[in-house]
Amino acid sequence: MTDPTSSDSGNPLPRGTSRRSFFVTTGAGIGFLALASCSNDTKTTSSSGTTAGSTAASATTTASTQKNVDVETAQLAAGLEVLAVETYRAALDVATAGKLGAVPPAVKEYVTTAMAHHRAALDKWNGVLTGAGETAVTEPDATLKPIVDDAFSKVTDVNGAAALALMLEEIAAATYQKAIPTLTSKDAVTLAGSIQVVDAQHVAVLLFVSGRYPVPEVFAKTDKAAA
Amino acid sequence: MRELTPALGQTAEHHRDVPAALPDPGTLERVDGERWRVPRAAAPSRRGRFRQRWHWRGLAGAARPTRSGRPTLDVQILQTATSLELLAVAAYQAALGLLFIADGNAVVGQFAETTMSQHNGHADAFAAQTKSLGGKEQARPNPKYVAVVEETKPKLTGPAEVVNLASTLKTVATETDLANLALLEDSDSKGLFASVMGVECQHLATLRAVGALLAAGDAGTALIAIPTNVAKLPKAAGSVAFPAPFESTTMASPPEEGAVK
Repeated sequence: MTDPTSSDSGNPLPRGTSRRSFFVTTGAGIGFLALASCSNDTKTTSSSGTTAGSTAASATTTASTQKNVDVETAQLAAGLEVLAVETYRAALDVATAGKLGAVPPAVKEYVTTAMAHHRAALDKWNGVLTGAGETAVTEPDATLKPIVDDAFSKVTDVNGAAALALMLEEIAAATYQKAIPTLTSKDAVTLAGSIQVVDAQHVAVLLFVSGRYPVPEVFAKTDKAAA
Repeated sequence: MRELTPALGQTAEHHRDVPAALPDPGTLERVDGERWRVPRAAAPSRRGRFRQRWHWRGLAGAARPTRSGRPTLDVQILQTATSLELLAVAAYQAALGLLFIADGNAVVGQFAETTMSQHNGHADAFAAQTKSLGGKEQARPNPKYVAVVEETKPKLTGPAEVVNLASTLKTVATETDLANLALLEDSDSKGLFASVMGVECQHLATLRAVGALLAAGDAGTALIAIPTNVAKLPKAAGSVAFPAPFESTTMASPPEEGAVK
């Protein structure tokens, strides 16, 4: 498998989008929305009339809302990714310190791999944000952090760590799935989808090592999505 | 743990358990006027069969006529997705006719049956959504990959080969969902694809892990169990199911590949 947003992948993001152009087009897409709203404003001002003015205001609001949806989703996603990276790192630390008992090699490999995946996802979302003129996210999701911290404080063994990881991954996968129909940029849809896939795969493996069937649902649900 | 070998292009002797052909789409039966499934009599039953009722909700969108009688891009995407689901149903049905699957590792057999059922659910949902957008329901398996499966079937001599083929088909399905997701206009369709993709990719992850364990020989095969012995899983079991941080789209089918002609 190759990174779909990598410029050297065979058929990356929406057909022919390289890593560089992804950020450019995402930023340009958002910029286009703002530009479109300005354009509408100009036209309606010159043509005058209350209805036209109202239409322009509506168009501006719509464009602004569209921009906010993608930006807000990127910020939410980045906050989740920070939380995931920090939690996996903390799990590795306590495992290395011997506080979880014997850690099977496959479990350690999973934690290392999943942490790297979330780090990569965080970098992508922050690239989207900074490309759009926004600030990169460096803090974990404020709503979920205390919940995860509380759960982490009760982890005493590998099974507990796996249960915590499962909770995190289910939230992440559901959040991306729920966000996808709302995103306006095609590149953002593909990025969210490509991360949703990997997070859902993390879930499948965690279910398996927890002694459960790895694909229990016919349709993936969004009830665990972060808001 | 050995790396998974490509499912296609392998040479092997013809196996007598391999059915002569994929179930013809004509053997799929229509239920309730819109659902398609493999007839129970044609699908081998199995003790402990995983049963799951499925139903896609939230597709109450009003029918939208296509322009000039030509299917919209959304309809083409939905038809292609349906064609891949029908292909998967037929492929799993064929796999369940193989003795080394039907009477082999219990988890592999359960997975084949459950996954076939889940694909039926996906096909139904895609077909229903196609109709809700004013399109014609796709009733035939994907033409490109039917040929690939037929070509590969004589080479299916054991579980590893079947898993490799399933993994290839699943990669195509997952990456098609992902690639086409961004091309959709209809919001309900996007939600449906995201939901199905979230399950397809888990099939793929499971197949990658199972394939790797099968490749590890008897010791690995013994670990394909629920519950498994986590302590004995090889290190690679923690990463083989998701080889990259982002799913690729290099094997995605184009929107028109499985569209109704």
